[in-house]
Amino acid sequence: MTAVIQAALNGAMMGAMYGLTALGLTLIFGVMKVVNFAHGSLLMVGMFSAYWLIRLTGIHPYLALVIVPPVLFVFGYYLQNVVIKPVFKAEGQVREPLTVIIVTTGVWYVLDNLALMLFGAEYRTVRTAISNKSFALGEFIISIPKFSGFVVAIATAIGLALFMRKTKTGKALRATSLDREAANLMGIDQYRIYNIAFGLGTAIAGIAGCVLIPFYYVYPSVGVVFDIRAFIIVVLGGLGSIPGALLGGLVIGLIESVFSQFMASTWTEAIIYAIFLIILFVKPSGFFGHKQDW
Amino acid sequence: MSRKQLDRILLAVVALAAFGLPLVVTSPTYLQILILLFFYAYLTTAWNLVGGFAGVLPLGHSVFVGIGAYTSSILTLQYGVSPWIGMLVGGAIAAVIGVIIGLPTFRMRGAYFCLCTIAFAEGIRVMVENIDTLGPLKINGPRGLLVPLLKDPTFWDYQFMSKLPYYYIILVLLILVLAFTWFISRSKVGYYLAAGGEEPEAAAALGINVANYKLFAMALSCFLTALAGTFYAQLMLYFYPKGLMGLDLSFEIAFIALIGGRGTIAGPVIGALLLRPLNEFTRIYLSDMLPGLHLVIFGLILILVMIYLPKGLTAPLSALYDRLARKITVQGEAK
Amino acid sequence: MSNILEVTNLTKHFGGLTAVSSLDLHIKTGEILALIGPNGAGKSTVFNLVAGVFAPSEGVIKFAGQTIHGQKPWDLARLGLARTFQIVKPFASKTVLYNVMVGAFLRTNSTHKAREIAEDVLATLQLDHTKDMLAGNLTIADRKRLEIAKALATNPKLLLLDEVMAGLRPTEVDDMIGIIRGLRDRGVTVFVIEHIMRAVMALSDRVVVIQFGQKIAEGSPEAVTKDENVIKAYLGGEYDAA
Repeated sequence: MTAVIQAALNGAMMGAMYGLTALGLTLIFGVMKVVNFAHGSLLMVGMFSAYWLIRLTGIHPYLALVIVPPVLFVFGYYLQNVVIKPVFKAEGQVREPLTVIIVTTGVWYVLDNLALMLFGAEYRTVRTAISNKSFALGEFIISIPKFSGFVVAIATAIGLALFMRKTKTGKALRATSLDREAANLMGIDQYRIYNIAFGLGTAIAGIAGCVLIPFYYVYPSVGVVFDIRAFIIVVLGGLGSIPGALLGGLVIGLIESVFSQFMASTWTEAIIYAIFLIILFVKPSGFFGHKQDW
Repeated sequence: MSRKQLDRILLAVVALAAFGLPLVVTSPTYLQILILLFFYAYLTTAWNLVGGFAGVLPLGHSVFVGIGAYTSSILTLQYGVSPWIGMLVGGAIAAVIGVIIGLPTFRMRGAYFCLCTIAFAEGIRVMVENIDTLGPLKINGPRGLLVPLLKDPTFWDYQFMSKLPYYYIILVLLILVLAFTWFISRSKVGYYLAAGGEEPEAAAALGINVANYKLFAMALSCFLTALAGTFYAQLMLYFYPKGLMGLDLSFEIAFIALIGGRGTIAGPVIGALLLRPLNEFTRIYLSDMLPGLHLVIFGLILILVMIYLPKGLTAPLSALYDRLARKITVQGEAK
Repeated sequence: MSNILEVTNLTKHFGGLTAVSSLDLHIKTGEILALIGPNGAGKSTVFNLVAGVFAPSEGVIKFAGQTIHGQKPWDLARLGLARTFQIVKPFASKTVLYNVMVGAFLRTNSTHKAREIAEDVLATLQLDHTKDMLAGNLTIADRKRLEIAKALATNPKLLLLDEVMAGLRPTEVDDMIGIIRGLRDRGVTVFVIEHIMRAVMALSDRVVVIQFGQKIAEGSPEAVTKDENVIKAYLGGEYDAA
């Protein structure tokens, strides 16, 4: 039993990382109605940025949290502005911009393989001051970097929710997500809002990159692992829902970790997909989604 | 000469050239490249029935290629059933599974369907990799299946000593699926699919049960895709889950369709003609120097085409053809 | 003359909000009935209930003697109930002819026949000159006509027109009035929601006025405009303005 609880704790902490990745994805989807297939690649960019920053300057890993997310915000902002916006404009009045989804796939291919060309395929880790630190909670052992990641993930979700409710920009984001024509009429520049949404989503991927680096390895296609899970999480939690993303992440992390106590880890992956498909048939809109979401 | 005559003559020339090509191309290596080119064009055309005409974006079609390959191969290896029969069984299974995926998702926003196809395909692949035997069926997990080489294969065995029969089989399959698509696109079903894909509410108000038509397209598309799976198994005589059922193949099919022109008949062929040689060439010549460069090029082409030609390459090409055709027919009439 | 549509005690709640409340109305075969009311009165909800987009919370909807509430839009279209959308929904990437053929296919499986029906409908609506244009490139007035053409191609018994005059110039409104009268002469019963009072007065045989989801008046256009409740609720300012 102890082992199962320990696994659950670890799973919850890893799940928070999945949730954090899904948070950016769900934000971008909520506002733009686009599934960002490049999201895992943006996480990879965040991880490599944190990796090189820590490796080359030797700063404390959490200091990277002040530097990497703003840089990624700018990166995401201009990525959407330069690459994705033109396709949006070309699709014009189309209700659901499926072509844009494919463009994000192109971005994924380009980013992942650029990283492969630049850094090679090997798995990299960086030893940091906190990498192997842990504390005891009764008979259970909690890894400090994982726990910090968990805290940061929750804080990011709360911060994002507050931002969406309290600030003018956040309200504009929500207005656009509810009805972009109406938001347009109210004088909100749809494409600037998209830039901000994409920038924020990318910045969140940067946050995830920073907190992952002390205990996870980075390689060019690392994003795929998180991508597939993030897709499942956002469908579980309801596309566009902030609490749904975090809760979905925790569920996936817990399942993965607890089930791996009883069976080969390759099977846990199959079980995640199976649970996903069951939810799809029973409650296709997810925990927090709307029923008929046209 | 009228425009219709010109179209027919041109079509006949292209078809004749395709049938005659092996007279010129005799090297098995190049023949194999052509076979794979047709194979991809076929897969994309099948995908296009649902991804193009029905206006949704399935990104897990490789699973149906896998279902085709596994079904016919297991039936052949364990029960001695001819792959020609197994091919149809695989197609039927794929159609049923396609409908199962579509049932809950076609009534929702397209993004759900898109994500669900991926999750379903990956889920099946992971399960296949974890299963050695399923009841009486030997699936062989991640190692995949080997179709043994026969000494004196007959046509019934779907195995041939040279590449040539494979070339003609896939060419005929491609022509059939293209003709079928052409027929569909000009029929009520085609109109209904396009309408439902573009404006589902308006389509429903005109008497169209949009979800049912999408399910029908999905079933057809999955059936046809699985047929190609059997072809692949018999061509390669070896396949494994990661290579055959991975997301790479699913995405490549969608890329070819989008670059060529989604929802057009020529699009998948044009896309395959452009991307397959590019893919082979860059993979062979560039991947040693810089691993990943060929995929960067691939991604860039995709992005550029989507930005500058969002309807794909078919639209400007057919406009060009229209201009040329007008000149030729006008000149013909002047004479 | 029999009633083609009979609505009894129709009620629709959205959460705590009651959009339509105990509404009774009927349409006689061959007449033009207008449903009017101030913004937010529940007109579009009534349309969506009749057209099968929403299921009513309470009440009975009978179309040609058959109970239809709870049936889906595509089944209703087959029965002969067609509608247009207030925000037009053309198949924008397709030609005008293609758009109308989609409607025509409801009554035939033959592409050739569907094209004939569509061309006939386009001629009726004076849209034949646009038939090879992409629907997305049409002017507002032509889009509104295309919306009617698609619905008409399904050969309906009853046609629901949702604000087909909105956004049109005065001369275009006159053209549209002529077109809708022509539809009635072809034997189609017409049920309109309309804001432009001039059109309502010119077109309708009868008018039903609703406010807050309830019927407040019913009768000939002239009678309704003199009704005290109506003037108080809605027409006073707006009629002068229009």
